[in-house]
Amino acid sequence: MGAPRTARLVKTALRCYPPGWRRRHGDEAAELASLLIRDGTPAGSIAWSYLAGAAREWLAPRPGRRLSTVACALLVAACSLGVLAGLQASAGPARAASTSQARPRAHCRPRPPEPVPGAIPAMGRPQVITWEATHGRSC
Amino acid sequence: MAVGGQDGRAGQDVLRRVGEASVLILISLAGGPKHGYALIQDIKELAGVELGPGTLYGALDRLERLGLIEPLPADDRRHPYRITAPGAAALRVHLDSLERVSAAGRLRLQLGGI
Repeated sequence: MGAPRTARLVKTALRCYPPGWRRRHGDEAAELASLLIRDGTPAGSIAWSYLAGAAREWLAPRPGRRLSTVACALLVAACSLGVLAGLQASAGPARAASTSQARPRAHCRPRPPEPVPGAIPAMGRPQVITWEATHGRSC
Repeated sequence: MAVGGQDGRAGQDVLRRVGEASVLILISLAGGPKHGYALIQDIKELAGVELGPGTLYGALDRLERLGLIEPLPADDRRHPYRITAPGAAALRVHLDSLERVSAAGRLRLQLGGI
């Protein structure tokens, strides 16, 4: 990953913090990130750490922060979780369908011979006409 | 909510619920004032734990709100912090508690022959 791109990634993560936090720690946090990247810490893990910190910062109740802001942040988090759960749920049936085709289906039994019109069934061998045979359901 | 020495909570382990990162920061600051980068490096050396910067700032803010650390005048863009007297007292109580638990654990392992 190039240097400008990593710097952009960290800057984006830092922009997720509340304004008060950015005024206080923003410059130092950006400098700290560049020092850690220089030491070999992956920029992605730094950005992720700042993103998680920003989420905690928004969700933690503060005396100066209005309740509605906290409620909005909670709502956004809940919506994100809901979208993720929805995506997983929609992926579930598709996965199930793709795996079930590999197994033989329960109704795939050998079909009995078709009754020949006019022929008399053999004695002692009662002919069983199944639903599958009459409806010609194929696998 | 600051944790002072005069609020009737002396001897109570207030660090039990603040998380490992906060305890490590207090231990690091017990050796002298440090800013964010120096804290991360010191904790890595001290405990082998690499604190994420987001975790670090969250813990610093929490400890400051509790009155266990305080910021010093900024040095360029860096804000050093130092441990306060209530912070040192809280750290002492917490480390004593950890020592008791550690000793009990070792004793049980010994008695159990494990």
